Amino acid sequence: MSPLLLIISILLPVAGGFLILPFRFTDSRKMAVYCEIIAVLTTVLVWTALIAVRREPLTVYSFTHGFSITFRADGMGSLFAGMVSLMWPLVLLYAFDYMRESRRQHVFFAFYVMTYGVALGVAFAANMITLYVFYEMLTLVTIPLVTHYGDRESSYAGRKYAAYTIGGASLAFFAVILTTVWGDAGRFVYGGSLGEECVPWLMKTAFLLGFFGFGAKAAVFPLFDWLPTASVAPTPVTALLHAVAVVNTGVFAVTRMTWYVIGPEMLSGTAVQTVCLAASVFSLVFAAVMALREKHFKRRLAFSTMSNLSYMLFGVLLLIPEGLAGGLAHMLFHGIIKMSLFLCAGAFMHMTGNSYVYEVNGAGRRMPVTFVCYTLGGLSLTGIPLFCGFISKWQLLTAGVTAGTTAGYAGTAALIAAAFLCAMYTLTVSARAFFPPAGTDRYAAPGPGGRRAGEAGPLMLAPILIFSVLNVVLGIFPGPVMDFIRRIAEGLI
Amino acid sequence: MLILLVILPFIGALAAAAAARKSGRAADICMNVTAAAVFALSLALPGHDFGFRIPGVLASGLALKTDGFRSVYAVITAFMWLGTSLFSPEYFRHEQEHLGRYRFFVLVTLGATEGVMLSADLMTAFVFFEILSFTSFTWVIHEETAEAVRAGYTYLFIAVIGGLVLFMGLLLLNTSAGTLAFGELAEAVAELPGGSASPAIFAAGICILIGFGAKAGMFPVHVWLPKAHPVAPSPASALLSGILTKVGIYGILMTALAVFRGNTRFGLIVFVLGEITMSLGAVLALFSVNLKRTLACSSMSQIGFILTGISMTVLAGAHEEAAVTALSGVMLHMVNHSLIKLVLFMAAGVVLMNAHALTLDEIRGFGRRKPLLKAAFALGALGISGVPLFSGYISKTLLHEGIVETAEEVAGLHGLLHAGEWVFLVSGGITFAYMLKLFIAIFLEKNSDPSRQAVYDGQSGYMNALSGSVIFGSSLLMAVLGQPAVMTRLAALMTGESSILEFRAFTPGNLKGGMISLTIGAALYLLVVRRILLRRGSYVNLWPRGLDLEDRVMRPLLVRVLPGIFGFIASIFGENRILRPLCRFLFPGVFGSVASVFGENRVLRPVCRFLLLAASVVGRALEVSTDSLIALLRKTVVRERKGIAPAGRKPGFFVELREGTREAAEPIIQNFSFAMLMTCIGIVLILGVLVLSVLR
Repeated sequence: MSPLLLIISILLPVAGGFLILPFRFTDSRKMAVYCEIIAVLTTVLVWTALIAVRREPLTVYSFTHGFSITFRADGMGSLFAGMVSLMWPLVLLYAFDYMRESRRQHVFFAFYVMTYGVALGVAFAANMITLYVFYEMLTLVTIPLVTHYGDRESSYAGRKYAAYTIGGASLAFFAVILTTVWGDAGRFVYGGSLGEECVPWLMKTAFLLGFFGFGAKAAVFPLFDWLPTASVAPTPVTALLHAVAVVNTGVFAVTRMTWYVIGPEMLSGTAVQTVCLAASVFSLVFAAVMALREKHFKRRLAFSTMSNLSYMLFGVLLLIPEGLAGGLAHMLFHGIIKMSLFLCAGAFMHMTGNSYVYEVNGAGRRMPVTFVCYTLGGLSLTGIPLFCGFISKWQLLTAGVTAGTTAGYAGTAALIAAAFLCAMYTLTVSARAFFPPAGTDRYAAPGPGGRRAGEAGPLMLAPILIFSVLNVVLGIFPGPVMDFIRRIAEGLI
Repeated sequence: MLILLVILPFIGALAAAAAARKSGRAADICMNVTAAAVFALSLALPGHDFGFRIPGVLASGLALKTDGFRSVYAVITAFMWLGTSLFSPEYFRHEQEHLGRYRFFVLVTLGATEGVMLSADLMTAFVFFEILSFTSFTWVIHEETAEAVRAGYTYLFIAVIGGLVLFMGLLLLNTSAGTLAFGELAEAVAELPGGSASPAIFAAGICILIGFGAKAGMFPVHVWLPKAHPVAPSPASALLSGILTKVGIYGILMTALAVFRGNTRFGLIVFVLGEITMSLGAVLALFSVNLKRTLACSSMSQIGFILTGISMTVLAGAHEEAAVTALSGVMLHMVNHSLIKLVLFMAAGVVLMNAHALTLDEIRGFGRRKPLLKAAFALGALGISGVPLFSGYISKTLLHEGIVETAEEVAGLHGLLHAGEWVFLVSGGITFAYMLKLFIAIFLEKNSDPSRQAVYDGQSGYMNALSGSVIFGSSLLMAVLGQPAVMTRLAALMTGESSILEFRAFTPGNLKGGMISLTIGAALYLLVVRRILLRRGSYVNLWPRGLDLEDRVMRPLLVRVLPGIFGFIASIFGENRILRPLCRFLFPGVFGSVASVFGENRVLRPVCRFLLLAASVVGRALEVSTDSLIALLRKTVVRERKGIAPAGRKPGFFVELREGTREAAEPIIQNFSFAMLMTCIGIVLILGVLVLSVLR
């Protein structure tokens, strides 16, 4: 089959989503069916492409000097695309239920579906320019999603989000141009594609700027502040975009730049590597502590996301294949875990109208399925065996110790400390939900209007359950997935 | 069969949960049947050596095996569960709430505990260890009182810290030694440069010690133990104290045996921690005036005895005889302590469910007219105090003998070990003192409130036949295990060394050690308990409230100090302090001054004026023509209507398109200009650097 499939799978959701804008559906059920069909169709296309297409590049448009828009489904892109395409149709189901009473639904779903295509564009990009274009587009199409509620708070969050990520991307633009000029047009080749004549100090500067620039989307310290603020967005957005798809493109871009353009040899052992490692190690502990301090349920999870994104960057920046494998594995597994956590938090907020951690007391009794899934997610995120978080953490920490450098050991210790904090900020919520201290159970009596909080509807529960099952199954049988990831990390695919 | 021992309780747990929907009785039967089945199965294990492996699961597969020690502990585990689950229907008679949860997690923990006890590598042990850490949390928090919730949190966090530190230790060991199988570790470590003394292995050992030690109740990670054991329901306390602490010991023991034999540094660390745990636990128990808290602190103290024994096994190293003596002492004392605490905590459960109180003043005189309970408690007390002919005597003597022999064999440690020996004897004495305190208060003295005493004396059906026979039956084991012939055979089976069969327990030398302890104990009872604790006929809590490691150090550190530091950093690097001033400076300041130079007043405005003049001429001409064109289009294609659209009529397609797009695109367009600005800055920067690099 021709690699054209890649382009169709990118264009289908973009076009399909765009069409919702003029053809406002009068019936939101019809719109739901339409969106779901597009999403499922795209997912099928993506998986067909991943399985059937030979790994050859397809150039769509070529500027001068080898600057071109090119797509290719290599191992790492496939991993990202596979992950994203697995999640989108599921979270859409959740979103239909969650957004049922919201106004301007068609705008929301139009952009939500369009984002799917743009995220796939990032995944399949075969060089820095293409990556950069889709990276910027991703920021732009997600702004209306953040500002969806339209109140002061959301529009502030939207502005802040744009300022941080676009500002960051402008730093990264520097790296993109320099590597494109000196390298093989910024083409992604495992181990780096820079030419002989490149200037090392310039490349290292470019890397530094690129790291912090793309890192802004991965909420690396110091450009992290937008992520907690952006959690005012509707839960399907905070879950899928600000825990997985969008923020992971930050990590994805840094990984591409590190491993596929500049290459580990040039960076290994340099001060640049140390600075970037230090930034990610610091932000992973920092974010964990901030999450513990935070009382707002979703902001707490947002800080947790920031912490986990830095785990991935830490793994990637160790510049050894084990580390890359750990980072990629954590990208996948954290995605699954954080989805279930956010969806559970969203279900709680949706069903009870409360959004603070201390308001959870006793909710586990009324919503047992939701909070059991939440607890499983929390355990997994902490790194308890039987859950998939353990597998990636084991891989990451093994890499940290194998690297044998001071930064490696420091990072390993920091990861352990952050894991402890993680247990504190996730499991205290579970403990509150199931074992409220005597007399603080908020949901024992019927609320105002005689309505008792209860389990969310099947459309919301189904994705939660599926992600929880994935969490456990991948935790117990990680073999095939980890083999695939290790092969990517060793440059075999 | 090994896997069946592990899986069966999990199935039983699900069955019990399903049965609980029908009736509590069915679920109880389900629980008892499962425990009995596991017990029956485990009985087939001793005397067999075999292994079992499931590859491809988790990070590196699961491996189980059985040998002397493992099989005996599998039996003890199953026995403990059988005993407590037979007792629990009566104990929980009046509080059915959350009982379904309790049954489920008790059975899951049984499976996990069997998993640890039968594990053939550290990874398997770790996996099951984590499971039981979290499932046993539900026991601690079961009552859901404020106290239980607080103790539960402490337990949970120590368990999580322990688990993660252990994780770190395993990781270090795995990356440096390349294996985690107990059978292969010794060889793999010996091949490394520096052996077990190399920094990575040593660090791994310390991590593993702390990780498993947290579950065992080792100082300084013992803080959860005196709080969690008393608040849990009594059958669960018996398991927490009798078995779950042993899970920690199991891990430390196996690692020490596989990796650290003969490593003096590691041995001394375990020795010092063991001695502190032993004496601290004993002192805490002596000063406690609460029945279950005394028993909990006693557990901590006994764990200290066992740790001291482990350290002797490590220190003795190649000196075979001393090592075997100490190891036998360790394994036998583990068995003894498990069974003793089973009896004592179940007896405490009987007290609690009848008297509804635990402080010594309130339960004083409870057992005066209850001979069966009195006998069972007395047997347990005799066993743990190390009175000759009862179970604890032989294991304590072996531990003591281990210290003495090691002190003789290992050069340079004589003084330290001799001091340790005295700490050991005094701690043994304190054990006797606090058990005397409990026994005399509950079973001999009269309550200071006569009406209460009358109620106690009148209680006839204070426990049913089943509970009574379980408690009394297991207490009889104290006497059986007091026989040297039984004990040495058990030791030979567990250690796999037949030389221990020649051990003689009742030589004058050995009896002397025991007698010294008992004398010290009796003296301490008279001095401390009768003179200091008893004030005007009632037991007073003299332990200073402020002296609490958890409240003074650990909680403040986690709750205040750490978040404070990071919060401070966050407030500095948050946007308000740095980014916003920067942007203010950059945009209005720098760009503003640039703009005011090149801005409209000086340059652009004159140019614009000219351009506008020219444009307006052209524009006017274009305007007329385009206006008419647009007007035409509006009438024909777009069909836009001014004012309110008539009801029931949809606006035209293109109006929809325009409005929808405008609405949606507005935020994008707003930010797009910002993006362009940033890109421009990027381009300027690049140009600058390019110029720079050319100049170089």
